[in-house]
Amino acid sequence: MPRAGSRAVAGWDEDALTMAVEAARSLVGPMAGPVAGPVAGSAAPAAFRFASTSAYFTDRSQATLAVDALALPSGTRTVDAANSRRAGTGALLDALLGGREEIVAASEKRMTQAGSAAQLAFGDGAAAIRTGDDAAARLIGHAVLSHDLVDRYSSTDHPASYAYEERFVRDIAVSELLVPTIRAACESAGIAPSEITQVACAEPVSATWKAVARTLGCSAPNHCETLAAQAGDLGAAHALFGLGLALAKAGPGEKVLLVGFGSGVDALILEVLAPVPGAAEMAATLGEGQILTSFSRFLNLVGAVDLDWGMRSEFEQKAQATVLERIGRDMIGFVGGRDSLGNVQFPKSPIPVNPALQAPEVLEDVRLAEDLATIVSVTADRLNFTPDPPFDFGLVQFENGARVLMEMVDRPDGGFAVGQQVRMRLRIKAQNPRLGFRTYFWKAAPAARPQLGEA
Amino acid sequence: MAGGIRDKVAIVGMGCTRFGERWDVGADGLMVEAYAEALADAGIERDRIEAVWVGNALDDINVGNSALPAAHALRLDKVPVTRVENMCATGTEALRGAAYAVASGAVDVALAIGVEKLKDTGYGGLPLRTKGVQNDLWMPYGSAPGTFAQLAGAYAARNGIDAADLKRAMAHVSWKSHQNGALSPKAHLRGAVDMDKILNAPLIADPLGLFDCCGVSDGAAAAIVTTPEIARALGKADPVTIKAIQLSASNGWEMQFGAWDGASVPNTRAAAARAYAEAGIRDPRAELDLTEVHDCFSITELVIMEDLGLSDEGRAPADIMDGRYDRDGAIPCQLDGGLKCFGHPVGASGLRMAYEVYNQLQGRAGERQRDKADFGLTHNLGGSPFNSVAAVAILGRLN
Repeated sequence: MPRAGSRAVAGWDEDALTMAVEAARSLVGPMAGPVAGPVAGSAAPAAFRFASTSAYFTDRSQATLAVDALALPSGTRTVDAANSRRAGTGALLDALLGGREEIVAASEKRMTQAGSAAQLAFGDGAAAIRTGDDAAARLIGHAVLSHDLVDRYSSTDHPASYAYEERFVRDIAVSELLVPTIRAACESAGIAPSEITQVACAEPVSATWKAVARTLGCSAPNHCETLAAQAGDLGAAHALFGLGLALAKAGPGEKVLLVGFGSGVDALILEVLAPVPGAAEMAATLGEGQILTSFSRFLNLVGAVDLDWGMRSEFEQKAQATVLERIGRDMIGFVGGRDSLGNVQFPKSPIPVNPALQAPEVLEDVRLAEDLATIVSVTADRLNFTPDPPFDFGLVQFENGARVLMEMVDRPDGGFAVGQQVRMRLRIKAQNPRLGFRTYFWKAAPAARPQLGEA
Repeated sequence: MAGGIRDKVAIVGMGCTRFGERWDVGADGLMVEAYAEALADAGIERDRIEAVWVGNALDDINVGNSALPAAHALRLDKVPVTRVENMCATGTEALRGAAYAVASGAVDVALAIGVEKLKDTGYGGLPLRTKGVQNDLWMPYGSAPGTFAQLAGAYAARNGIDAADLKRAMAHVSWKSHQNGALSPKAHLRGAVDMDKILNAPLIADPLGLFDCCGVSDGAAAAIVTTPEIARALGKADPVTIKAIQLSASNGWEMQFGAWDGASVPNTRAAAARAYAEAGIRDPRAELDLTEVHDCFSITELVIMEDLGLSDEGRAPADIMDGRYDRDGAIPCQLDGGLKCFGHPVGASGLRMAYEVYNQLQGRAGERQRDKADFGLTHNLGGSPFNSVAAVAILGRLN
């Protein structure tokens, strides 16, 4: 757990699902614009695996929502892994052993109590990895240990993480769990620990890897330590994000150790065959974001304080299952329609909005989520309730003709302005805490993410 | 094309409550006040009213939906009552319903009444409402100032106008209305406000400050309409007549199709063009003596001046700063203070506008009286710039 550095904080309208989709979107298709991510595979994956200990829904598949948000075929196999920080590495191991084209996304936005060590140590974030036959790295060995070491836990009755004494955790984790499992993984791969050149080991407490490395005789850098210092402990996403950092540094022939920790250990040895697409871009995201200086705003964003929002917040929406069934997939997938004259609109309608057409027709599906758009009109609304004011919204114009009234997020310094280019991001559209339900839609954000700089 | 209703309908009586924070009275009491004044003004018995159109936009706040709240409040005895709702254009919509009933010959005398009891929400501004279970899945929940504020940036971008210059012209719109509101006994806001205070007010929705926004008020207004012949028989030798009422509604084009520049309200232009044709007005700048427009926000009034053809494209800020729409200007706008200062009880506003024009045409506007008042225009706008219902009415005298 970091004692210094910084931590990543998600917006009020981000959760484990939205961040997983954001992490995975470059793995399923091209993104428009100069800062577009790589395309790791053009074909649809056979499966989408979602791993998190902080998924909002407990009986509604986040993986299935992600499939809809990414507009993947409904035949995509979906698997949700949970209840352990090891869920991310477990899901990846299953995908690698299956040998198919799959996407594994791990994501975390964990609630923490004000004043707790976890509030400083935990970060919000997600990582996604695509597996397949024609990969740039391959699994050459692995070992798994199931061991219920209660280093920390959360539960229905205690949703915030409860942590036990660090020295106890470190001693047992090193000697009983990590060292034997990593050693077994190396034996499985037919290598000595000293041959490992890059490491992504999720630590239960700080300095764990240092002790493990000393015992094993491994001098490779642990990229999860870097991640913890810069973004915080990302829970189930931590090891996979650390793997991205490790792969960004690794050249062909290098051996990379991936370790997931939580109720046991997953240890995977990967051999890099070629530069891994997307790894450098993933590493670059650590330098992106906006610096948050208001502690009260931070407490609000992490849900650690119950603010008085006034009467205007006394507004409740109920999403209806019938409507979600009818148009929900077009909404979360940001799918509009192209009319017979080529104009695209959102949402679809029986009679196209195009003035040149007056009769009903069936519109062809067109996904807008990966297209850039331009702001036509905008304001910062300071009257209506929003959990993180002001409420930016306005009309945006897509090149294909679609014009959509949208919320805007990730407000740049100086706010939004007419003519600026925007990129679509999946976010929480509405939340109903009383009914325990959320809806998701896309919002317009600045085309490029801000850079944290030196501050 | 049909000939329209020019001079087929006379207004023989109108009433309007004091607008504002009417803690003292409910929606029923407001309707009774406006109705009583209209009846007395018309000089008719209540049993001559054969049909009623009641306008109320926010039925969830105190008034309630259907015909019944008005029928109960006014104790209308088995009279056909129709409730209409067209967002902020509701008041003019009620008048249109009553006028069409008379013009068609279906009834001789009809009542239009609009009412809203906004101050029972417990806060300022209009209440947030869902957009319907489908639209809630994607449509942002912007406030009314948020939606209209968007005109400003788009207008500045289209016309290459500096934001500070536009802000100053917007401030002049509000300054002028406060000047007029001070002379309007029934207005909600009756204090004059200086330009610095307007310009430096807290932001509500960029770039709209507090004084760029209209009052949110309680109030009701009513009109009794009949045929010109009956009006004369009632002793109105030269009655006020409706020269035109036109309505235009968005079909999604502005919001979903990529052709609109965001700096005008196309429905205002369409409704105005049809109203001018119906009224026989060829040069509105020369023929209109006053306007009461939907100045829900200062930028709205600025844009409306171009949409009504009273300012050239891109020239409204300059015309406003030149005083063209001030009380002593060429075409005064909001002589009663407008939505800005008279107030905006949504369902009543269209009829309140007609009330001021009706009084001006008859020389009954007191300190606010315009020397020459032959034709007056009301413009009532519902929704948002990108998804609107615009109503334009023109009133004059029969002879």
